[in-house]
Amino acid sequence: MGLMNGVDENLIKKIPGAPIFMTSIEWVINASRANSLWTVTFGLRCCAIEMMHTGATKTDWARFGFEVPAASPRRSDVMVVAGTVSKKMAPIVKRLYEQMPEPKYVLAMGACAISGGPFLYDSYSVVYGVDKIIPVDVYIPGCPPRPEALLDGFIKLQKKIMTQKFRK
Amino acid sequence: MNYQEILEKIKTKVEPVYAKEDLGVLNAEIKSSDIRTVLNYLKSEMSFDWLNFITAIDWIANNCIEVVYQLFSNITKDRVVIRVKLDRNKPEIETVSDIYRTAEWHERETAEMFGIKFSNHPYPNKLLTIDGMDSPLRKDFKCDDMKPLPKD
Repeated sequence: MGLMNGVDENLIKKIPGAPIFMTSIEWVINASRANSLWTVTFGLRCCAIEMMHTGATKTDWARFGFEVPAASPRRSDVMVVAGTVSKKMAPIVKRLYEQMPEPKYVLAMGACAISGGPFLYDSYSVVYGVDKIIPVDVYIPGCPPRPEALLDGFIKLQKKIMTQKFRK
Repeated sequence: MNYQEILEKIKTKVEPVYAKEDLGVLNAEIKSSDIRTVLNYLKSEMSFDWLNFITAIDWIANNCIEVVYQLFSNITKDRVVIRVKLDRNKPEIETVSDIYRTAEWHERETAEMFGIKFSNHPYPNKLLTIDGMDSPLRKDFKCDDMKPLPKD
């Protein structure tokens, strides 16, 4: 029952002597969403190397339900903006975000995606944070963040998904 | 070949404006009208078959832009740097992309970063920057959303 780790006891009612339990439809939908997040396969700069490492064997993110990097943005749920967003790249990042189906989530990974980072001053080519072009759910600081920090950001995103209300 | 021999050979074709040795490499400044003559000669007769890069320097105090060509020879393992000074208000120089094919992208990048016109270039389009941004690597470049570095 990996799904029920850290879940409030009141949300799930087990029925004694039977392999069923009762819960709200909202919890089921949120838990399905939170435990099968597919990421868009794209990375912008050096943070992408750390993101690939997080997906690889040592800190395998499929353990927590992030599964595979989707081959197309139309199949994916979460977008990890890993790296500096330049002004030339910004329309393409925005188009990828718009191609993703709802519900969709965005993680800003690293100092550059949060605020522009080391390129904050005297730069003619950098967007000062990816939140200037698309909405961001979780910010992960670091330059680059360690794989543990990225996993922590993903788990924070799962917690956020579990609190959202059912969409009609 | 040492730098003096290379300089003597260049002098048989054109007269350099200024030449000096820097870390064992010849730095020869020539007139902008001579650039194709010199590079043709260096490639065909002195086996400088490799163009390392083309870049430019903005000398805002002297009101000039200096275009730098670095050449390398895979046969004699020699290096040479050719420099050309252009007028900063209207920088224009002829392309060398038919002599060295790699110059095509180097010239496009230099052209958009410093606002230099490379005449007779086969594809004079923008390569890296967004539309509406001109010569961002010039010293007096200003951009609307650019944050200046705090002084202290």
